[in-house]
Amino acid sequence: MQMLASVQESNATFTEVKVIASLTRPLQDSGRLRYRRPSHLEKVTVEPLAERLVVDGDRLTLAEGGAAPRVIDLNAEPMIRGLVDAIRGTLAGDLATLQRSYRVSMEGDVAAWRLTLVPIDPSLAQLIVSTTIDGAGASLRGVQTRQTNGDDIRMTITPVS
Amino acid sequence: MTEFLPRGRSEAARLMLEELRTGSATGLVMLGVENAPPDVLAKISRDMTDVLVRSGQFAFVNNGARNLLNSPEQQMLFRYRYLLSSLTQPAAFTVESLHDDMQRLLRGLQSSAAPLVQQFGFADPIGAFLGIARDWIGTSKVRSVDGVWFASERDRALILARTQAGSLDIAGQEAANAAIRQAFATARQGDARLLAAGPAVFALDAANTMRADVQLLSIASVILVAGLVLWRFRSPWVLGVIAIPVTLGATAGALVVQLAFGFVHAVTIGFGMTMLGVTVDYPVLLVGHRKRGEAAPITIRRIGEAFTLAVITAALGLTGILSSGFPGLSQLGCFAIIGILVAAAVTRWLLPRLIVMADLAPVESGNPATLLRIERLRAWRAWCAGACALSGAGLLAMGGPHLEKNLTALSPVPDSAFALDAELRGELGAPDAVSIALVQGGDVEAVLRKEEALLPVLERLATEKVFGGVEIAARYLPSVATQRARQASLPPPDELAARIAVAEAELPFRGGSFQTFVEDVAASRTMAPLRLSDITSPLIAVRLQPLLFQRGQDWYGVIAPSDLLAPERFAAAMRDAGATFVDVSAEANEVVAAYTATAWRWFGLGALAALIAVAVGLRDVTRVISVVGAITGAVVVTMGILSAMGTRLSLLHIVSLQFVIGVGLDYALFFARRQLDEEERARTLRTLTTCNAMTVLTFSLLMLCRTPLLHDIGTTVVIGALSALVFSFMFAGERQPAVAGSV
Repeated sequence: MQMLASVQESNATFTEVKVIASLTRPLQDSGRLRYRRPSHLEKVTVEPLAERLVVDGDRLTLAEGGAAPRVIDLNAEPMIRGLVDAIRGTLAGDLATLQRSYRVSMEGDVAAWRLTLVPIDPSLAQLIVSTTIDGAGASLRGVQTRQTNGDDIRMTITPVS
Repeated sequence: MTEFLPRGRSEAARLMLEELRTGSATGLVMLGVENAPPDVLAKISRDMTDVLVRSGQFAFVNNGARNLLNSPEQQMLFRYRYLLSSLTQPAAFTVESLHDDMQRLLRGLQSSAAPLVQQFGFADPIGAFLGIARDWIGTSKVRSVDGVWFASERDRALILARTQAGSLDIAGQEAANAAIRQAFATARQGDARLLAAGPAVFALDAANTMRADVQLLSIASVILVAGLVLWRFRSPWVLGVIAIPVTLGATAGALVVQLAFGFVHAVTIGFGMTMLGVTVDYPVLLVGHRKRGEAAPITIRRIGEAFTLAVITAALGLTGILSSGFPGLSQLGCFAIIGILVAAAVTRWLLPRLIVMADLAPVESGNPATLLRIERLRAWRAWCAGACALSGAGLLAMGGPHLEKNLTALSPVPDSAFALDAELRGELGAPDAVSIALVQGGDVEAVLRKEEALLPVLERLATEKVFGGVEIAARYLPSVATQRARQASLPPPDELAARIAVAEAELPFRGGSFQTFVEDVAASRTMAPLRLSDITSPLIAVRLQPLLFQRGQDWYGVIAPSDLLAPERFAAAMRDAGATFVDVSAEANEVVAAYTATAWRWFGLGALAALIAVAVGLRDVTRVISVVGAITGAVVVTMGILSAMGTRLSLLHIVSLQFVIGVGLDYALFFARRQLDEEERARTLRTLTTCNAMTVLTFSLLMLCRTPLLHDIGTTVVIGALSALVFSFMFAGERQPAVAGSV
């Protein structure tokens, strides 16, 4: 956690595989990730549909293709805030934020660690069973989210120096 | 004050003015909390809302934390989605349309918004519920900080509430206001400041401010006037003597109004007492002209003629507003005339005996030498006439005095409060109910059906940017007929399932993914339509109440646009579509303008009657001209000064000028008496100066008032009374021969 807390800025590419219970085949997408301390997070999907998701402070902006961006206030949407906090809190090395929404457990060592987050907040627990975050040193390598409806989302992260 | 005005001209205007005065909109309270960091403001907003909800004084309190998308209301709207949504049409359930919806759903699942899309996407692929939710969220301009509403432009937490108590329930409104104060006191942190606006808050604030003003001023002016009178006459008895005529006059006035009209309006008493202020002068005139030890008839003989004429002309001057035909004004005229006559009669026939018994008289009657020096000022008469002419010319040049056209000018609410109201309304995105359209029907359904016919027109107007948004009940609650038609257009479950199977054939959906959708559509086909009486949620009821209400036998629907950019196009479109357009503020203002103009005409007629009385009473052209000149001069100069100050003349000024004319007549007629010795002239000058000082002392205190209404009366009377004294002295008194000046 302290190692993560020392990172000022990080860039990565990602590929995401969503196994959705109602669908017969998994959905895939890929793009870039960018984090800047303390609260800026950007997820730019390139394939198959262009999308840009930016979280800055308490504001989440989601722009899909050429459509007008949607702005969401995280304070008004505790569920979405929970989802954002899982990633941003980990990147920030901010255990307190994580523990506000999740029961946190840690395993492994510095070279290969795993953080398991189980939601405490009831609205989040309705949606999410658990989120596991894998990392190596001060960088994230993967995020897996298991949803209550059986959906499973795996994101693989490759740091870019 | 609005009750004092005549009703609106058209049926619709009357209804809306009435609804605004007593309807559900009167309970609206808008609160703002500012002057602290945003997180602190958000916490105060949440804490205050808790206390307000628990107080039980409010039908509804919302600070934004309760939004539709996580409330019990969501479940109800979701259940009725295919009856409430305009998307429910045969075209939405075709294989092609369902196929498009499924592809959109797939794209949504692909995106980062997948968790949200999944929430409703499978149970409602056609998006009926999200459409309803969008309508409910509307064109709100608020932003959200820590989950509560904030103004978009500044750090100010906003809370919207509606009191349980209606506008006529003063005690209930007091309790609601106390709850607001208590909630803020509980939640307050640091230097945070509370702003409150809305009809409910204003009415009470204004009443309280006015009451506090009046209480303080009554005490202060009684002390000042009593001090002045005591200093002048050195006898406590004189206070009693002054109080007797005005008290009896007011009592008789109220009694006659009660008998003649069946009720006495509070405003009648308030303004009537202002007009009766002149009767306080009567005993002073009598006592002031008495020589110590003199028998009453001798004093009366000296002043009787002038006194009687002053009283008669003052009463005649009021006959104008008495016969105006407006209930409020007529009451006021009646009250003041009876009051003046009774007070004068008491002064003339009852007081002399008391005065002689207590041997009341001025301590000294003045030094003739000083008197002569003062009287020499009359050489400057031409200058005064010049001032009057200048004021008159000024008034003519500006095309006569500007008459008040704005209803709010008659309201005891200060301008700053109206500004705050407009600001908070804008920040909350609440329609300001100024320009609206109205439909009428025998029941809720008839109104909703008429409104539904307007929906396409409104949609066109919105795309043409005639307005930013529009509130209309039919959008939230379709008529039963429409809901039934939508039910009939829903495909039966087998049919829908078959179409879904075709639509999803090429797509990666697992069989049965849309089972909830099929079941919900099947249930929608047979459920009872949603009616107004089924709606128990305060969040929804509060939205519908101002838009759909019953008055008498009929129901009315209000179509209220916000950000109205082209009012005349909205008005024309609504009239063409069969709705009634009402510009509420223009209606109200037009009523006021017509009212004020008529009141001025009657005021003029009254003045004419007084003029004739003066002419008949004095029977001397020179004296008539000098008396009338003095009064006219005072009125013209007062109006000129007020106009130069940018004041628009309203009912308040009429009332105040009536009073000025009343005291002015006393001054002028007493100065106009002829062949008096120096001693008597000195008495007159001193007595009239005392009367004038009493008036100016009292009314200059009103000028200090926070209530604009009282402030205006104070200003008018002070300017008027001072100029009446000056002009009466200059014009009505005899110009002394040059010989007298050299004595």
